[in-house]
Amino acid sequence: MESAIHTEHLTKIYRQRLIAVNDMNLDVPQGCIFGLLGPNGAGKTTTLRLLLGLQRPTAGRAEVFGNLCGPNAVDVRSRIGYLPTNPKLPGNLRPIEYLDLLGKLCRLPGQRRKPRISALLRTVGLLGATDQRIETFSTGMCTRLGIAASLVADPPLLLWDEPTAGLDPSARRFTLDLIRELGKVKTVVVATHILSDIDQICNHIGVMCEGRMIFTGSTRDMKRRLRCDDFRLELDGDAEDIQHLAGDLAGLEGVDARLGAGLAVLVQMTEGRSRAGTLAEVLKLVDATNLSLKAVHSGPNATEDAYLQLLQEHEAHGFRR
Amino acid sequence: MDSAAELTKPGPRIMPYLAVLQHDLMTLRASRLVQLWLGATVVLTLLLIAGNWTQFQDGPLIASLLFPYLVFPWFFVVVVLGVSPVSGSRADVLADGILSRPVSRFAYLLATWSARVILVWGVYLVVMVPAVVVVTLAKRPVPEDTVTIYGSITALGVVGLVLTFLTSLAFLAGTLLRRPLLALVVLVFLWYPVGLILSVFSLEEFSPISLNRAISTQLRQTLRTSEGSTDGGARAEDAQALPERLEHFLDVFSGTPSEPTATKPDFFEGEEFSDFSLLRVTLGYGLPTVMAVILAMLCFYWRDL
Repeated sequence: MESAIHTEHLTKIYRQRLIAVNDMNLDVPQGCIFGLLGPNGAGKTTTLRLLLGLQRPTAGRAEVFGNLCGPNAVDVRSRIGYLPTNPKLPGNLRPIEYLDLLGKLCRLPGQRRKPRISALLRTVGLLGATDQRIETFSTGMCTRLGIAASLVADPPLLLWDEPTAGLDPSARRFTLDLIRELGKVKTVVVATHILSDIDQICNHIGVMCEGRMIFTGSTRDMKRRLRCDDFRLELDGDAEDIQHLAGDLAGLEGVDARLGAGLAVLVQMTEGRSRAGTLAEVLKLVDATNLSLKAVHSGPNATEDAYLQLLQEHEAHGFRR
Repeated sequence: MDSAAELTKPGPRIMPYLAVLQHDLMTLRASRLVQLWLGATVVLTLLLIAGNWTQFQDGPLIASLLFPYLVFPWFFVVVVLGVSPVSGSRADVLADGILSRPVSRFAYLLATWSARVILVWGVYLVVMVPAVVVVTLAKRPVPEDTVTIYGSITALGVVGLVLTFLTSLAFLAGTLLRRPLLALVVLVFLWYPVGLILSVFSLEEFSPISLNRAISTQLRQTLRTSEGSTDGGARAEDAQALPERLEHFLDVFSGTPSEPTATKPDFFEGEEFSDFSLLRVTLGYGLPTVMAVILAMLCFYWRDL
């Protein structure tokens, strides 16, 4: 299947000093919701701007639906809907005027533009604010208008840069639901560092660190990269008994155990061991002590752990080099 | 594909250009700078007409009305208008709002340049055309002058061309230097000593002050005389009238009546305007205008946003 986005050795160096994107090879399959993860300054926004032709690559190339990206690649941009982080919009316009302007920029004829604008304003919940100037809008309203703006031409690819930044919980929920719905018919790339968002909506992930793409694959692939499944046992009782229990657990075959923060024991399994079987053995040992078991946590932040592990590995790899 | 077929039609192809043009014109028209400029230019024109009503013939009076556009203060406003479209913080708004859409940078820049030129011409003509009509048609207590329609149109056209050149130069400076204030300072330091620079290369006819001197003569040209000789040379009395006009112009600002000046027939003897040619001036301002726009586009095309 043709990739929605394809980059080869894509590199961007600012003023011969700062490497923003470093030799990036990326393929985003069509029809997926792709989460572009990375800490601040990892190069996520620069990557999106290179795809849009707002910036020129120092080396390498980027293609969208097989077309080369660049400053005058109008055909590429006609197939992209871009939502920047906290979009800066012309404050002197009203929402309908702004969307109408964008509709004209996308060459939509009037008979298609008008109903589309009204439908979009209804979708993002801004119908009640059509007589206000954009300069009076809150951050959340600006983001919602930015979402509508990215959808004006109904493009097959959406590039959304931190779409939930600055949103209240209900607006955030609305945005995530919208991405999930749009992901059924479009390719959506969401750049963010909010891992819970990625966990909820994305089926493919790319992790960037210091300009490099250090992982690409499905969400499942990423979680599998964790060294092993973890259990965290929250206990109540004597600290000495807990330490003793940790020693007993470490004696089990294929199991490693150590004390965690507070009165907790962290259990790690080696690959290939049965998760249920190990848990049964662990619980049997706990039951044999005087300790009371408060809770068992089993990998609630798998994506976060995998992400942090990737970053640590990348850092260690860098030191080894 | 339907959308591809639509893109090849001329209507949809120029739709982004027209959209940006319309948006920029609306934004500029609503700006305080333009509203203040329009108000101030109306007031200054009225003051100049009223102050010189009984002083000058039609030609010198119209030339005195055009003086603010060529030298000061409207030169400054035109430069400010031209300098800002793709510089400073506007670049962010541009990138987020317009240039991330299917619009080429060429179309965008051409539209913003056109909007500024149309606005400058609009303000200039809205004020100057009625003023020229009033001055030429009114019965005034001064000797009759021979200002022609052809002369009026070409003189207004030449000043309009200078304004277009200034807008384009400011446009280029803003694009190159990125900082509007820096571009403004550079242009002011370039524009005012331009007469000196041009005189070094024997191109003084292109300097704004020389142009203003020659405008009275150009106003009296007819199509036939213009075709008959390319040297629409300035008359000596027009050249003599310049310092007087300048003084009257400054008097309008200071509010003090000017004292009558003694005539000095030999004062401009050293000045030569015999080689003043409409074609040369048009090319002299037209070609750099085109060059400035092309350079601005090239510069903007290679720039990261």
